[in-house]
Amino acid sequence: MSRVLVVDDEPQILRALQTSLRGAGYDVDTAATGEQALTSAATRPPDAVILDLVLPDIRGTEVARELRRWTAVPVIVLSAIGDESEKVAALDAGADDYVTKPFGVDELLARLRAALRRAEPSTEPVLEIGDLRIDLEAHEVTRAGERVQLTPHEYELLQLLARHEGKLLTHQAILREVWGEAYAGESHYLHVYVSQLRRKLEPDPARPRTILTEPGVGYRLVNPLRDS
Amino acid sequence: MRIRVDPVGVITAAASVAFVTAAIAVLKPYVPVLSLGVLYELAVLPVAVLWGVPLATAVSVASMLAFNWFFLPPTHTFQLQDTANWLALAVYLVTGIVVSVLATQVRRRSQLAAERAMEAEAIGRSDAIKTAVLHSVSHDLRSPLTAIVAAASSLGNPQVKLGRADRDELVATIRSEADRLDRIVGNLLDLSRLTSGVAAPHQELWTADDLVSRALDQLGRGGERVVTELDADAPPVQVDAAQIERSLVNLLDNALKFSPPETPVTLRVESRADEVRLHVLDNGPGVEPAARELVFEAFQRGSDGVRGAGLGLAIARGFAEVNGARVWAENGEGGHFVLALPA
Repeated sequence: MSRVLVVDDEPQILRALQTSLRGAGYDVDTAATGEQALTSAATRPPDAVILDLVLPDIRGTEVARELRRWTAVPVIVLSAIGDESEKVAALDAGADDYVTKPFGVDELLARLRAALRRAEPSTEPVLEIGDLRIDLEAHEVTRAGERVQLTPHEYELLQLLARHEGKLLTHQAILREVWGEAYAGESHYLHVYVSQLRRKLEPDPARPRTILTEPGVGYRLVNPLRDS
Repeated sequence: MRIRVDPVGVITAAASVAFVTAAIAVLKPYVPVLSLGVLYELAVLPVAVLWGVPLATAVSVASMLAFNWFFLPPTHTFQLQDTANWLALAVYLVTGIVVSVLATQVRRRSQLAAERAMEAEAIGRSDAIKTAVLHSVSHDLRSPLTAIVAAASSLGNPQVKLGRADRDELVATIRSEADRLDRIVGNLLDLSRLTSGVAAPHQELWTADDLVSRALDQLGRGGERVVTELDADAPPVQVDAAQIERSLVNLLDNALKFSPPETPVTLRVESRADEVRLHVLDNGPGVEPAARELVFEAFQRGSDGVRGAGLGLAIARGFAEVNGARVWAENGEGGHFVLALPA
């Protein structure tokens, strides 16, 4: 059974999440402050952390940064809508994903499953996501058996998102990885390439189901058949 | 243009012309008298700054006449021997008027600048308050909503297997968080009523016992921690029960919020000669002396555990005051608030 550490200073939210996650088959530890969270994570290492960004003692972003010094445990942050810069800061500090308050338990469970899945990295030479197939050795992409022609940058972008299936990647992280450090601030660049990629991969590019936009934060590639 | 005559201005103007005339009389043996005429500007300038152009023009004319009468030959007449003196007088007169116009403009401009600075400051302040209010309200509305949405979606999710006790608890959470939302919305409405001055009290005679039981009723399950110490001899008070109840509920809510979950909150009734005091005591950290008044301002909150919209105490005081009652924070080991109702 996977153990989840839930960190929130609102006792009602903590209780509701504890009951729900237990009901979904997880072991649950709780913490109401950043200090408690760090102590709990050190003494009873969890398999995933659900972390509120607003805590009474230290900022959630700082807790994520502290955790990253010694553990790769997946961290999902809970944040309020409109706090895009805070979300990006948390992701930069090492958080893996976020859920915006108020959220349904179904959404949280889906993110949690994806985070736990990613905790065991795949070393497969071929990635299969829905009807998408990426051969990392041959640099070949097919959709529903049909060969898709991609430019080198489009291919790099796709394989980066696909290797982190389900994970939210920030604009900066993607730009740095695909185009290099000098382009880390050029978000519009990325938006153009993502549009091109969607035209080649998505049945309806106006309603993307594989490459999803997280407004103001980044992109994530999901399996439309699994994480609908 | 209507010219307003300010008696103080007229007296000051006359006095300053007389003063400069006397000064010139004193200096006359030492300095050529024609060059002393410029001293009348000393009378014109302050009058122009304080009372404006019309009076300053009058001062200029009076100065010119006085100068002519007392000092320019033939003295004690308004005639002039030397035509050059006409020119000098004309120059003094024009200078006086120009000086007064300039001085008035300077004054108007500095007034305008001061007004603009004040307006800008007020706009900046109200923007900051609006931002703080929005931030605080959105956080405080979203927290109960988050608990409600999480609990409700959990109850409806087939992947989540819940026992009887778990289901009951989630339902209780939804219920109590909905009540909390309702209280926050109620508080916002109360605050807007208080700030717009439409909170006219409907006062009747009530006993302290009544007020206490109504407040406890309002708190529902959260009020179980409240321990009451009533006073059977307390005199009845003339108040709006609904408003004093809001006041008391907010004081109790505040005490419950800022004290450890398992500790009691005491509500003690104390009768005095001219008032009935309701004491609310908790085992929380209390209020620092420096913050004892600050906590009653809207959107302030304790330094730890940032919960509650920071509205409760402001409303408690607002409703107390419209009823002629008082609310304050006291020294003590924990939190100690007093609501004093006039008997």
